[in-house]
Amino acid sequence: MLQEERRHRTETITLSGRESERLSRPDIRDEFGLETMDMNMGPQHPSMHGLLRLILELDGETVVRCDPVMGYLHRCQEKIAENRMYPSVIPLTDRLDYFANMHNEHGYCLAVEDLMDIEIPPRAEYIRVLMCELMRLASHIPSVGFLLLELGAFTPILYGFRERERIQNIFEAVTGARMMFHYIRIGGVKADLPEDMPEKIWNYVEDLEKTFKRDFIDLIEGNEIFISRTRGVGKMSQEKAVEMGLTGPPLRCTGVDFDVRRDYPYSIYPELDFDVVTDEAGDVEASYRVRIKECYQSIRIIKQVLEKMPEGAVMADLGRRLRPPEGEGFGRVEGPRGEFAVHVVSDGSDIPYRVHYRDPSFVNMQLLQEIVPGHYLPDIMPIMGLVDPVSGGWDK
Amino acid sequence: MSAFVNALDQEPWRFIISLLAIIFLTLNVAAVLTFAERKVAGYIQLRYGPNRVGPRGVLQPMADVLKLFTKENLSPGRADVWVFLAAPIAMFIPAAVIWMVVPFAPKAVVTNLNIGLLFVVSTTSIGALGVVMAGYGSRSNFSLLGALRGAAQMISYEVPLILSLLGVIILTGSLSLVNVVNNQAGGFWHWYIWSQLPMFATFYIAGIAEVKRIPFDLPEGESEIVGGFMIEYSGMTWALIQASEFASMGLMSAITTTLFLGGWQPPFDFLDFGNFNWIWFGLKTAIIMFTFQWIRWSVPRLRMDQLMDFGWKFLVPLSLVWLFVTAAGTLIIH
Repeated sequence: MLQEERRHRTETITLSGRESERLSRPDIRDEFGLETMDMNMGPQHPSMHGLLRLILELDGETVVRCDPVMGYLHRCQEKIAENRMYPSVIPLTDRLDYFANMHNEHGYCLAVEDLMDIEIPPRAEYIRVLMCELMRLASHIPSVGFLLLELGAFTPILYGFRERERIQNIFEAVTGARMMFHYIRIGGVKADLPEDMPEKIWNYVEDLEKTFKRDFIDLIEGNEIFISRTRGVGKMSQEKAVEMGLTGPPLRCTGVDFDVRRDYPYSIYPELDFDVVTDEAGDVEASYRVRIKECYQSIRIIKQVLEKMPEGAVMADLGRRLRPPEGEGFGRVEGPRGEFAVHVVSDGSDIPYRVHYRDPSFVNMQLLQEIVPGHYLPDIMPIMGLVDPVSGGWDK
Repeated sequence: MSAFVNALDQEPWRFIISLLAIIFLTLNVAAVLTFAERKVAGYIQLRYGPNRVGPRGVLQPMADVLKLFTKENLSPGRADVWVFLAAPIAMFIPAAVIWMVVPFAPKAVVTNLNIGLLFVVSTTSIGALGVVMAGYGSRSNFSLLGALRGAAQMISYEVPLILSLLGVIILTGSLSLVNVVNNQAGGFWHWYIWSQLPMFATFYIAGIAEVKRIPFDLPEGESEIVGGFMIEYSGMTWALIQASEFASMGLMSAITTTLFLGGWQPPFDFLDFGNFNWIWFGLKTAIIMFTFQWIRWSVPRLRMDQLMDFGWKFLVPLSLVWLFVTAAGTLIIH
């Protein structure tokens, strides 16, 4: 009842000679003379997905106000990118959202290729999509595990990480690294797949398709406690989701049919046959269902890519030094957490004038401030699982 | 020799030996359970669990205790130090003394208290006091929430816990745990679990809530309130809290066994080992403990309101109904 007036209450204070505004703590007592309690959750908190701090105002166990504070992992990624040559920015993008490294690289390379009008070889496009979809699997499966971890079930995360481990083994064989790949390059990919790799990936996704339900989903789905903890929690309307600029599973779980892969096609996605998964409920359980179904869609895409993969070069011939013309480039990809977009501005030299990343973790985080008040304190954790932010993403 | 044994059976010695045995037992149950917990968790979660200290890691509890001994005992600056330090003791003592009335084998019981069950339920309630003291004495927001949750949960679940005991009391006609076990003699079909199945379920579930384990570990809630009432503890005070948690889990299994699974009674009469029937008691208790751990590592945690709903709207009515059925049945048969 008091939420609205409280949230925007500020007071003016003088800090080093300058007046500034800050949130004040009003002395409002309810009819019993009871005060609310301020609580600081994070940055050192096990379920804050890294380094997030939530300033909470609690009325008993009910959250009255929730202010996310970010910036504990800020590394000046965009500023560093302004001092590096175009290809040297790619390893930095790996460090953004460290659960979607391939998508970050892909987004940046798309932006630079848009700037320079580069045509890349078809085989490279197929390999990029293959890697991105594997990355989506490697992100969605542990995400669901994290959701369960935050609800108190410790086991599913380890089963999720087993799958991630197997995918990382594939990545290691292909790219030479398990997380920080530096594999997708401007004009193609670093190297062709090892000879036996298409077969290995095929066997892996076949195996995953067969065992995913038995080994992972059955551990979670149908559990009465899981349903009661997630159904109706974090419920939001379509309008609200669009208004907040959400993308990815948090948006699709409300029923908005939007996917960058289909609506703003890039790479070879127009040639592939896949469904955009949506759900009507718009709560935590719906986001769980969306993630699980997207895993099956990714498997479907990977199989098509492996079937259609052409032969040929994997890298366009760009010369030794990239010197894009003056102008701007823009690349957007559908990452596991939502739309990842990169804007690159060039002044004609060999280092970018400006690089900007639009990371889904950062944008989706707004949801906390809007949705959390009114929920119980333990409901913050499943809502964090719905957003599934990654601290490398929201702090660039 | 027999004179010596008889002397030990006389008063001050009997008391001292029992006391030492109980403390030894409590600490060992706690130590073995911490190890078992991590091993079971390991095998459920596709990993090995502790396997470095000693063969297959069996000495891990010793290493843990040694480590905790060497750690500094911190108490927060704002803490209410006496309450803060007394809380682990208030938690540990109830978990230790209840073993006194548990019959391990035909003659192995410290004291055959004729109000044994009353002693059990009243002493368990003291554990809630320890939780509140710990949470309140720490003066931390997280621990305060944990303490309030703990108090609400443990008091609420005491009700179904006690109601589910009443069926056994009606059938036995006695509050003594020794009599409860003796009444279940003559094969596993005489155990109370069959006639008291809903009561067994109620007792088992309320027992999990009483010892604060997932899905009812809200006072701890490590992903929400990061340890809850024990968030500020370190070193040996923390070890004492952990020991009392594990000891009370062992205790709850032992009492479940005693009340519903026939205590030390063998499943068939020809498997009667006389004084060695403690094997049966240990086996049944271990199975119940294992199911506790199995549940702990398989399901998520409930929310406070759902926990209360479940306790008051499901467990209490269920046990009341079955109490009526038991009472009516006993009346008709006699």
